[in-house]
Amino acid sequence: MNQMVIAPLLVALVTAIATLLTRRFNRVQVALSLAGGLGYVAAVYALVADVDPLGAANTFSYQLSGWVAPYGITLVADSLSAFMLSFSALISLGALAYSTVYVDAFGQRVSYHPLYHFMMVGVTGSFLTGDIFNLFVWFEVMLMSSYVLVVFYSGPQHTRAALQYVVLNLVGSAVMLLAIGGLYSTTGTLNMADLAQLLQSGGTAPAPVLGLSALLFAVFALKAGLVPFQFWVPAAYRAAPAPVSAMLAGVVKKVGVYAIVRLYFTIFSAATIGELALPGFSGDSLLAFYGPILFAMATASILVGGFGAVGRDDIDGLLAYSSIGQVGFIVLPLAIAATSGDSTIQTLGVAAALVYALNHGFAKGLLFLASGAVYDTVGTTEFPDLGGLSEKAPVLSGSFFVGALALIGIPPLSGFFGKLLVFDAAGRAGSNLALAVALVGAILTIAYFSRAWNRGFWGEPSLLVQHGDSRVSLVAVVLLLAVAIVVLGIGFDVVYRAAEAGANAALDRQAYIDSVLQGGEHA
Amino acid sequence: MTATQPQFVLAAVIASLFALGTFLVLRRDIVRVVWGVSIISQAANMYLVTMGGFAGSVPILGHGGGHGGEAAVTDPLVQALVLTAIVIGFGTTAFALVLTYRVYEEHGTIDLFELGDRA
Repeated sequence: MNQMVIAPLLVALVTAIATLLTRRFNRVQVALSLAGGLGYVAAVYALVADVDPLGAANTFSYQLSGWVAPYGITLVADSLSAFMLSFSALISLGALAYSTVYVDAFGQRVSYHPLYHFMMVGVTGSFLTGDIFNLFVWFEVMLMSSYVLVVFYSGPQHTRAALQYVVLNLVGSAVMLLAIGGLYSTTGTLNMADLAQLLQSGGTAPAPVLGLSALLFAVFALKAGLVPFQFWVPAAYRAAPAPVSAMLAGVVKKVGVYAIVRLYFTIFSAATIGELALPGFSGDSLLAFYGPILFAMATASILVGGFGAVGRDDIDGLLAYSSIGQVGFIVLPLAIAATSGDSTIQTLGVAAALVYALNHGFAKGLLFLASGAVYDTVGTTEFPDLGGLSEKAPVLSGSFFVGALALIGIPPLSGFFGKLLVFDAAGRAGSNLALAVALVGAILTIAYFSRAWNRGFWGEPSLLVQHGDSRVSLVAVVLLLAVAIVVLGIGFDVVYRAAEAGANAALDRQAYIDSVLQGGEHA
Repeated sequence: MTATQPQFVLAAVIASLFALGTFLVLRRDIVRVVWGVSIISQAANMYLVTMGGFAGSVPILGHGGGHGGEAAVTDPLVQALVLTAIVIGFGTTAFALVLTYRVYEEHGTIDLFELGDRA
């Protein structure tokens, strides 16, 4: 029992309410919002310091209202949640600082800040919860805020995109509820650790668990924007304000990835489904069943995202499609880890996915913010109207370049190590197919970013670009994120050890069970 | 047999609600889509209640001294879960309806087909 576990949640919740109460006083609201954002980062890092992923790698569980583990709601902080939280907190602070300038005063006064912090409450809760129904509730908290943020500008295109996003996610929520209800009926528990223990002991029927976990998987894939559930991504990202797109791509998508890692690698991998004869299925663990599925989805995402991005004519659309492709890169090592029975390759695969998630969070956050700054400067993000930005706004263009290089994977930046680990995992698992997919994806990334660079940033400045004027504060946030990417790349040793600790936490089921169930008894 | 019969009736009802909801979600009219979504989520709630089973007596044994004696209690947890899900459902349905109204204001139509043409 460690009280710090709920600290980030409380900070975000209190900030959300405080900004709601002070919405009549714009300056006070903005100040409170920023203070809350800083406080959130502080709370997250205090929690991370307690968890200590680089050293002791503790796992803390917090029983809400002191109800012991299988009965009450448990919040769990381990190295995996700590890793996800620590990079989400930094990106969210950057996007928040950016939005205080980018979103107009009226928008900020109406609802922007409370919604933003409620979204962070949902994200934090999803990372920390140890209860599958509670996970559903946090997803809803996160999604409810994101619905309103996507439709924030309320123009014709925005309402259309939001409608699609809302209906799709509502159906997704119903499906998630079905899967959770079914799992409860089959196993008689909602607590993840208890569920893992029950599945491990083998007392439950394997077929319903397999089916229901697959149903749940579809929901997580929808949140992560994996092919074939990617179709909402481009419209929603283009409709949302730039800092919100940065959050959706950088952080909210990662919640889906986190849920896949947590539930399928820690919990459902405990189940064995040996007696079910399914085509193309080998191995005893339920996890192995998801290997080929993850692989197919990752491959399709990389190809659809890559080719889609090459064909786009505006920066936002290109980034949205690129985001589909990059999530494929996160899931590809997970597929390798799920298929491989070897524990070193499993650890490597999950660690590669975590590193790539961090890299994509920072780089895509930066790129969306840069795209917003370009829009702010020029008034458009369509390539035919752009050109010569590197002359007009060198710092902004340079930062965009750094973000693009990070996603392409150029050595000193964090993206290089992400790609290296993906290739390493594929190579060690001996999967030539995975290597080929990763290679094609990497080439596509180079193709669409060099196209974006050539058409938007190089050459003669267009008329619109010549008359544009960029705001220093927006560019400053973008520049800070670019510096962060460089720093993360140079100090990669720390990032990798944290990711490895996260991967170990994800794969060490017994430690998770012990911590949650024993922790409850001593509460 | 008496204990299981309500479950069969409920299974049939839930199945038809899902069918109806799916049918409505695939309509062109946005209001019907919203109806469909809320019917699907209600069907999911009913499914959740059904998962608790109806074999036992009332969950609240304290009131009235538990006339069931030693009989098992119906699982109260799923009912708590459904309450949570219903509250969330209220919020999302309200938002979806507001969004529908907004679409009507922006586009002057609630036909998804016409929305597609104009974009």
